[in-house]
Amino acid sequence: MEESILRYEKIDFLGEGQFATVYKARDVKTDKIVAVKKIKIGSRLEAQDGINRTALREIKLLQELQHINLIGLLDVFGQKSNVSLVFDFMDTDLEIIVKDNTIVLTPANVKAYMIMTLRGLEYLHQNWILHRDLKPNNLLINREGILKIGDFGLAKAFGSPTRINTHQVVTRWYRSPELLFGARQYGTGVDMWAIGCILAELLLRVPFLPGESDLDQLSRIFQVFGTPSEETWPGMKNLTDYVQFKHFPPQQLRHIFSAASDDLIQLLESLLALYPPSRCDCTQALQMAYFSNKPAPSIGSKLPMPSNISKIEAEKPSLKRKLLENIDGGSLAKRLQF
Amino acid sequence: MDDQACPRCKTTKYRNPSLKLMVNVCGHALCESCVDLLFLKGSGSCPDCNVPLRRSNFRVQLFEDPMVEKEIDIRKRVLKDFNKKEEDFATLREYNDYLEEIETIVYNLTNNIDIVGTNKRIEQYKKDNKDIIMKNKVKIGREEVELEEILEIEKQMEELRRAEIARLEQEAKKQKIREKEALIDELMFAEGDAKDILNTFAQNKANKQEELVPVVPKVTQFSTGVKFTRVSTQPTLPLIEEGPLYKYEPLAVPDRCGPDPPSIEDIVACGYLKHVRAESETEKAGGYKSTLPCLRALQDALAGLYHAS
Ligand SMILES: Nc1ncnc2c1ncn2[C@@H]1O[C@H](COP(=O)(O)OP(=O)(O)OP(=O)(O)O)[C@@H](O)[C@H]1O
Ligand SMILES: [Mg+2]
Ligand SMILES: [Zn+2]
Ligand SMILES: [Zn+2]
Repeated sequence: MEESILRYEKIDFLGEGQFATVYKARDVKTDKIVAVKKIKIGSRLEAQDGINRTALREIKLLQELQHINLIGLLDVFGQKSNVSLVFDFMDTDLEIIVKDNTIVLTPANVKAYMIMTLRGLEYLHQNWILHRDLKPNNLLINREGILKIGDFGLAKAFGSPTRINTHQVVTRWYRSPELLFGARQYGTGVDMWAIGCILAELLLRVPFLPGESDLDQLSRIFQVFGTPSEETWPGMKNLTDYVQFKHFPPQQLRHIFSAASDDLIQLLESLLALYPPSRCDCTQALQMAYFSNKPAPSIGSKLPMPSNISKIEAEKPSLKRKLLENIDGGSLAKRLQF
Repeated sequence: MDDQACPRCKTTKYRNPSLKLMVNVCGHALCESCVDLLFLKGSGSCPDCNVPLRRSNFRVQLFEDPMVEKEIDIRKRVLKDFNKKEEDFATLREYNDYLEEIETIVYNLTNNIDIVGTNKRIEQYKKDNKDIIMKNKVKIGREEVELEEILEIEKQMEELRRAEIARLEQEAKKQKIREKEALIDELMFAEGDAKDILNTFAQNKANKQEELVPVVPKVTQFSTGVKFTRVSTQPTLPLIEEGPLYKYEPLAVPDRCGPDPPSIEDIVACGYLKHVRAESETEKAGGYKSTLPCLRALQDALAGLYHAS
């Protein structure tokens, strides 16, 4: 316990989220740079007596999940009202990249991001974990261009992601229509919907469905995909928060994403199917033509990075050094020095 | 050109060079001080035609004929809803009819012809085309965002270009210094005639200059004639993208230390679902399927069966 606290040397403050404060730190034991997420508890009345044992056990279970596209939970330490999680340190996230208008995203870049996200999520789903809070800023990216899903499983352990903290507004833009209708039982479809919204955002470079309230969110969804009916979505009316919406006709996605190729439109339609059972799962998505078609996904080192982060270059001797080496060996010694 | 004058106080531009004429929705002009005077309370009526006006709606008159101002105002208002584009029409003919309709409406409203009927026409149009109006409004907003993005990219390219030019200049300067040094060395240590050496160097320099035509990327590809459709906004900048095509590979199945559980397909085909509670319609509407808990239960039951300790 005590030694764990000493093990991580705080370097920098990184940010604050719904339920955590995040620091950049050095792991003294391995000399690795890590992100330490200190869970905020005192602020929540019902949790003032500390996270209960089950929550902590669930977090511990997350440590066993290992996949290149999931952020690694390296360590958990603390007790009761003072729990910290140690994660791989990541240089940036997809939200920063989408918003950085100096960055051009090519179709190959978009494909690479989608593959990495879907592969990480496929693994999560295979381990019976729903993410439920997928959004661009939870898709973290390191300077090698590897995307890793973050914040998975925490939503469940620490209460509903819809909870609104004092100064943090929870975004609903990636929430599926069944969740907005208050479905109590749901499946992997909620994550697939979010992936669809994120893909759309990568293409548009603005949030696809930026609803201002839950009802506005539904209304925006239906304005694009058409208002569902009892025929297209059986059982919809039984959902807890169901409300009847005005009739909107569906729009053609290819009109909204007119730069997107047909195979990409097909993927979008499958991810953003209104009726949850019609939505594809990760495996089905990854097997769609879009992914195996040209262009090939960018390899990690070709993916864009915000300008303040320097990509690691393959260590090759600089031109200058090469020249100097040649000179040292040659006979022209002094003459050509510049 | 007639000197502009305020129709009320008759002040002219000649007598008061800072005279600013303002217009409101009715199209009648007033100078700024008359506006201040008459609309002290924020609203009042036009001294010309008695139409009730808000002070906040007065704008500086840009055109000499105030009717032009009025028309611009009306046109702006009408076009907010009449925002269809050519691609919204099946034929050019229909598109032309539509443009004609807009002109009639603007003309009528500007010249006070059948105001009631024309306004009804607008309302009807708004009702009939509500969805497409909404859609195009969103689209237009997006195009503005894109336009800004394009400008930003252009700016960046320009900066890159400048940096490249600066770099080349720097390079050229260094090259010159190097040549000078080499020349001096040559003059110091070589045995030939100084004149000959100078000549050879001049010749070499001339040859080199021909090779060194700077290759600075042009930016014109964006600036001119960009059509603001989404297609053209995906700039084809970094074209060099290689790497293998993607091929799906199933996740490695974790070692469960037990017999392999059946697949989802097996669960359905072998009728295992008969032994679990089927999902209700409401659960299905939420995207919940009973195949999954069934699979999970089977996985859990079989895992660890080989474990011996
Ligand atoms: N592994 C990490 N490496 C580097 N920075 C991180 C890491 N995890 C989180 N951060 C940074 O810390 C900040 C807070 O993260 P946190 O996940 O707590 O909140 P959030 O992502 O802003 O919102 P939410 O609580 O909804 O996930 C983020 O801005 C993020 O940039
Ligand atoms: Mg987060
Ligand atoms: Zn006047
Ligand atoms: Zn008037």
